[in-house]
Amino acid sequence: MKIHATDLDDLALGAVFLATGGGGDPYLPTLIAKQTLEQTGPVTLIDADTLGDDAFVVPVGGVGAPTVSLELLPSIDEASRVLDAYATLISREIDAVASFEIGGGNSLMPLMAAAVRGLPVIDGDGMGRAFPEAQMMSYAIAGVKPTPALAMDYAGNTALFETSDTTTYEHHIRAFAAAAGGMITVAEHPMSGEELKRSVIPRTVSFSLALGRLLREQRGPIADLLPSLRALFVDSVYGSVHQIFAGKVSGKSTRTIGGYDVGELSIENFDDPSDVCNITIKNEYLVATAKGKPLAMVPDLIVIVDAETSTPINAERLHYGQRVAVLAIGAPSFYQTPEALAATEPRCFGIDMDYQPLALLIN
Amino acid sequence: MRIGLDVGGTHTDAVLMDGQQVVAHTKATTTADVGSGIETALARILEGVNPAQVELLTIGTTQFTNAVVERKHLSKVTAVRVCLPAGRGLLPRADWPADLVEATDGGNYLLHGGHLYDGRELAPVDEVEVEELLQTLRTEKPAAVVVSCAFSPSQPELELSLAERLSAELPNSRVVASHSMGGLGLIERENAAILNASLLEFADHVASALLISSERLGLSCPVYVSQNDGTLIDLERVREFPALTFASGPTNSIRGAWALTGLSDALVIDVGGTTSDIGVLKNGFPRQSNLVIDVGGARTNFRMPDVLAIGIGGGSEIGEGGISCGPQSVARELSDKALCFGGEVMTFSDIAISQGRMTIAEATNSDPVETKICDAVDQLVLEKLTAAVDLMKPGGAILPVVLVGGGAPLIPGETLAGCPVIRPEYAGVANAIGASIAQVSGEAEGLHVIGSKARNEVIDTLAQLATANAVAAGANEASITVVDVEEVDIPYMASETTRIHVRVVGDLTLGAA
Repeated sequence: MKIHATDLDDLALGAVFLATGGGGDPYLPTLIAKQTLEQTGPVTLIDADTLGDDAFVVPVGGVGAPTVSLELLPSIDEASRVLDAYATLISREIDAVASFEIGGGNSLMPLMAAAVRGLPVIDGDGMGRAFPEAQMMSYAIAGVKPTPALAMDYAGNTALFETSDTTTYEHHIRAFAAAAGGMITVAEHPMSGEELKRSVIPRTVSFSLALGRLLREQRGPIADLLPSLRALFVDSVYGSVHQIFAGKVSGKSTRTIGGYDVGELSIENFDDPSDVCNITIKNEYLVATAKGKPLAMVPDLIVIVDAETSTPINAERLHYGQRVAVLAIGAPSFYQTPEALAATEPRCFGIDMDYQPLALLIN
Repeated sequence: MRIGLDVGGTHTDAVLMDGQQVVAHTKATTTADVGSGIETALARILEGVNPAQVELLTIGTTQFTNAVVERKHLSKVTAVRVCLPAGRGLLPRADWPADLVEATDGGNYLLHGGHLYDGRELAPVDEVEVEELLQTLRTEKPAAVVVSCAFSPSQPELELSLAERLSAELPNSRVVASHSMGGLGLIERENAAILNASLLEFADHVASALLISSERLGLSCPVYVSQNDGTLIDLERVREFPALTFASGPTNSIRGAWALTGLSDALVIDVGGTTSDIGVLKNGFPRQSNLVIDVGGARTNFRMPDVLAIGIGGGSEIGEGGISCGPQSVARELSDKALCFGGEVMTFSDIAISQGRMTIAEATNSDPVETKICDAVDQLVLEKLTAAVDLMKPGGAILPVVLVGGGAPLIPGETLAGCPVIRPEYAGVANAIGASIAQVSGEAEGLHVIGSKARNEVIDTLAQLATANAVAAGANEASITVVDVEEVDIPYMASETTRIHVRVVGDLTLGAA
């Protein structure tokens, strides 16, 4: 399958949906990615299964504050320069590029890097959504080391990371992002075809594209869109789609604590203002509760869409009085395993709550 | 006494105000040359009035918005961006409609320099590059130049010094520094600055024409124009910042509702021919939108009122048996197509006339529409407005709903979504009344790294900056109050960083201009 410049608006829209509230505004990354693909031609998307076990795959993406990109601007060659520097560093031929996270702008970076170097991109990613920390990535959970990793800033300054474990890596990479102007591009979690096959959340790139297309073509009230949305998710790595709440945003308070956006969101039922849904945020939407009972929780996906158009809304774009629907979608089966839950369940975010799968909460 | 003028696409409205009292009001037709329409409106309200008694003329105008939308009267602009080695990814005017690029393209230049989020230098400025640029521009003699540096809203010094240098070296070019046109978001701020620069020649023409019209009618008072946030700028500032008037239309109707009712918090519905625009009055000013605003196809970061438009107006077409109302509208053809003018199309105006809510003096047909149909349409309109009011009203608050605009009498009912409906006198000329309010504002924005300085100190510094900006715009310093402090967190940073925006408003010093 080929990804063309004309596909990118749909891919980015699907990626905002899968970003579960995080990932930043997709406008600038999409513009840049379009320019790249208009110059290089389409990128080839390949299934992880088609790779040989000894193939060499490198994920590429951005780490830092999206607000900084509003001033320094994403650049057409930052992803490919990082990949070039990485290839030189480890003096090994790269066979394919992969994505850290399908949610948000990081779904587009690997495409740009691959387009410039003429490499294929893996149809899949390391989260199936967006998560705030490196150790929550499926690559890390499956035992793939994050290092050697190479990070580059806007001026081409690079830093090489070799760390003992993923948590240490996460601390160091974040410190470099803050020191290097707030936004860096990183190549990390190098792996073999065999490692990729057992750690990737498969086919999320092509799925994001199909999802974005559906959201664009059937733009309208969520009630009308829900049947086709459900049908689309049936044929995916994700669980089923449920509307868990609908109402008006009645409060939002977020603060930056330890380099993350942390806060609470409340949504009032349209018909009964005393029925309120509360959502905990750490960059992404983590846990939704109503009447003291959980409705859905991480790693299952919580997505907020505009009630009238079904357009997904980032946490930073949510505002008072918006009419929204809250959707929940079962996490990919990879994230239902005990190892994955140990890295991504509510307690990993400091929320004192046992993980309860969406399928159970719905009944 | 003061005069408020509202120059819209169809009508030019004028009001003569004495304090809070409306002394005279009129609705004239907007003419192709704009000036003669203004003069007609002014002549009507000045009948029997000594022009020397008028202390202030304030004007709301859509001319600059229309110039961008129609790509008329725009000059070429050279864009100089100081951002390298960052900022190469997207050139100035990226993602603009081709015809808007064509109408404004005077070349793009990228130079080394700018700042980072924490105030450090992004890269040193390269003197050789600057000299080369100056040499090129001395030959090309551009009509206007925009300078945009990375993070200039937090650190404007570099951008200002380059702009001054360009002005000195290119005496015939107008130079605009991007931070004067908006906050963080290089692309949006630069877009706004380019649009503004492209309007400078036209702004000179418009400002001169406004002055001539007012002088022709014997007015010797200062002339001000209302900007996006409802406060005023003088003609000299219009000549420098015409883009600041882009959203004055909706703003003036909301500010007019404030002046007509004295309510500082309310919902305002401006009922026109095709749409009803619902806005929110908060502390006497319009609630601002969070969204990125598109002007003529270019993304900008102008702060504009949060307005929800729904397709209900005087020209809204009624479906068979009263099953629907709008969004299709006969718009400006009401007097040809509506039943009340002997036409074939049943409109919402026909319903309102039949229900006895409204009269149109020029109407030629007085056959009422069946009551059953009228009631069905009114029911439908109430449902749509209730949903829209519910969406716009803050929280569960019960706020008064103020109806303004030429179509205000169309709307039935005494409550909407549990909120009482108010129909003030002179609602039809609320825009012109909004334009007549004599207040000016100043703004400032900066990043705050928590722990590096006390938050209050940062806000105080910003308030002083905003006050200086307001005084420069003509405000009486003693009357200045801080009306808005907005703080936005920036995620993903190791040190907690927030962006603070401060806005102050003060009374205009009359007689000082």
